[in-house]
Amino acid sequence: MMSLSLPLMAAVAVLGLLGIGLLGLLVTRNLIKVVVGLQVLVKGALLALLLAGRLSGQVQTGQTLALTVIVADTIVSVVALALAVQVRRQFGTLDLQALSTLRR
Amino acid sequence: MPDISTLAILSIALPWAGAVLIWLVRDRQPQLQHALAVVFTLAGAAAALAMIPQRSEVNVLDFPLGSAFGQVTFLPDGLAVFLAVVATTIGCLAVVFSVDYMKGEKQLGRYYAYVLFFIGSMVGLVLSSNLLLIFVFWEITALCSYALISFYNDDPKAVTAGIEALIITQVGGIGLLAGALFLYAYQGNYDVPTFLAGADRLPPNVLALMAFGFLVAAAAKSAQFPFQTWLPDAMEAPTPVSALIHAATMVNAGVYLLARFYPAFEAVPNWKLAVVSVGAITALMAAVMALVSNDLKRVLAYSTVSQLGYMVYAIGAGGIFASQFHLLSHAVFKALLFLSAGAVIHAVHTRDMREMGGLGKQMPLVKVVMIIGGLALAGIPVLNGFWSKELVLEAGHEGGPLWAWLFMLVGAGLTALYTLRFLTMVFYGEPRSGQHVHDAGPAMKVALVPLALGTLTTWLLAGSFGHFLGKALPEGHDVESTGALLLQVATAPTTFVALAVVALGLAAWWQRARLAGLAHSLRGIGTMASNSFGFEAINRAVVSVTEASAESLRTTHNGVLNWNVMAILVGLVVVLAILALGGA
Repeated sequence: MMSLSLPLMAAVAVLGLLGIGLLGLLVTRNLIKVVVGLQVLVKGALLALLLAGRLSGQVQTGQTLALTVIVADTIVSVVALALAVQVRRQFGTLDLQALSTLRR
Repeated sequence: MPDISTLAILSIALPWAGAVLIWLVRDRQPQLQHALAVVFTLAGAAAALAMIPQRSEVNVLDFPLGSAFGQVTFLPDGLAVFLAVVATTIGCLAVVFSVDYMKGEKQLGRYYAYVLFFIGSMVGLVLSSNLLLIFVFWEITALCSYALISFYNDDPKAVTAGIEALIITQVGGIGLLAGALFLYAYQGNYDVPTFLAGADRLPPNVLALMAFGFLVAAAAKSAQFPFQTWLPDAMEAPTPVSALIHAATMVNAGVYLLARFYPAFEAVPNWKLAVVSVGAITALMAAVMALVSNDLKRVLAYSTVSQLGYMVYAIGAGGIFASQFHLLSHAVFKALLFLSAGAVIHAVHTRDMREMGGLGKQMPLVKVVMIIGGLALAGIPVLNGFWSKELVLEAGHEGGPLWAWLFMLVGAGLTALYTLRFLTMVFYGEPRSGQHVHDAGPAMKVALVPLALGTLTTWLLAGSFGHFLGKALPEGHDVESTGALLLQVATAPTTFVALAVVALGLAAWWQRARLAGLAHSLRGIGTMASNSFGFEAINRAVVSVTEASAESLRTTHNGVLNWNVMAILVGLVVVLAILALGGA
């Protein structure tokens, strides 16, 4: 039986989070669910940064970058959710397909 | 006296600071804006002039920007300081001229801010010795020229001309960026002096790619064949901006690039021939087009294209000194011509020369200085254009192929012909429009007189100018004293041949009634020339093909998030596949 070291588990978790996040972005049309998908995706990226920091021996760099990402990511989701509330009030729907104005 | 690195920074930063200040002042105080523009360009010119005695052959100022960008370094050697002085002083005179020309215009802040930003960027372009930084300044000048050509942004023609200039110079910029990246890949940094000192360390095919990439960049910037269309179309700009683009900034950058990198690319097979061909074809073609245009500014624009052809030709033939000396003469007399044309256009409110005529009586000073500038353009002794053009022709006779030299000779004759044509149409004959003409304003005259004096005298600087360029010239360029240089020109057989051709051009204009039959038989060429030899049609074809393909790709941009994420994923897979294949 293959031994499950910490980095390996982390790598599997990274791939899993990234996969789930991307899948969410790929299939959903609801704006709230898009934000959720994005959150999962970013959490995968966070874990990847920490893992890379540990593997390369530069733990602090990885942690610093992760903290930066947390800040940016929080702002993104706050603004996105606020927008979602406004969009719902203005247009009465959260369906991206219905909201898109780029169709001809 | 501040040291050279401070001066170098000042000559960039002063115009830029002025640009920001003028923008902050807002348009409610036009007098303050005029004053600020003049003061800051004057200060920039003073800083550039103060660099003359302190020029240095090695990098000054080493400011690290991190590993990917390298060092911010400046190389204020003779060539760079010369171009910085041209950009700031001619730019300063154009700004002084603007005080009268742009009086009462709206949005002066936008105008002056871009003009000053433009001047500062041009100085940065010539002073920096980091190729990536050169590229950055190169693109800033392109952006400024776009904004200024489209200054009258409610006029669709001006907007189109600005976009055309931007797109064409961007195409050239790709050549420069590719060159910079190649240099980084093979040298490990962007340092230009290191590159010039040992260009043969690069593999020959990479060096050739860089050489021809730079030629494309220079041709696009200096409006050389086959990119010449943007410069005449750029005439929609306010006239001081045209003077700025044609004499002080922008088009000189291409010639500078070729002159600066000539030592590195000299040995690349066929490169010199390509440069000579581009210059010769441009010089002749633009001269023909200048002959048939009826728009005063367009005639001057074609003459700029043609004279730039002479400079490029001289570089290809190895005459760096001749080309830079012609650049100096051209900057002075072309700024003079454009600014006096601006005074004329300001007075009669049209650019069509068929509606001018007989203006000499109303604007005596403008007439005198414009004739001085015109004769310098035509290459009449003893004006500065004569000496530098003869030097170019001599260098070309020694170092270039015979056909190109004959092209240039015919071009010189045509130059004399079209110069007389536009001077006659503007100043002599009967007034063709009944409207009131007012003479040039005081600030206009203040800007014109020094340029006219320069046109009469800069040729006296020949020897010290050669000495000044010094090490910036490739090896084997002997620098002679003014007297020896002038004597050499005055006794060279090529001078007499060229003078004979110029005289022939003048005589052809004198006897134009008798030559009507000949002119009639050449009408076909004239028609082709008024259609700019089909290059406008090529431009239009490129635009319509681009638009059609963009239209057909529109279906892929449907604004659906899922579809876009899918595209990102596919892109990721493709990149991973390429990496996997490359690693195998």
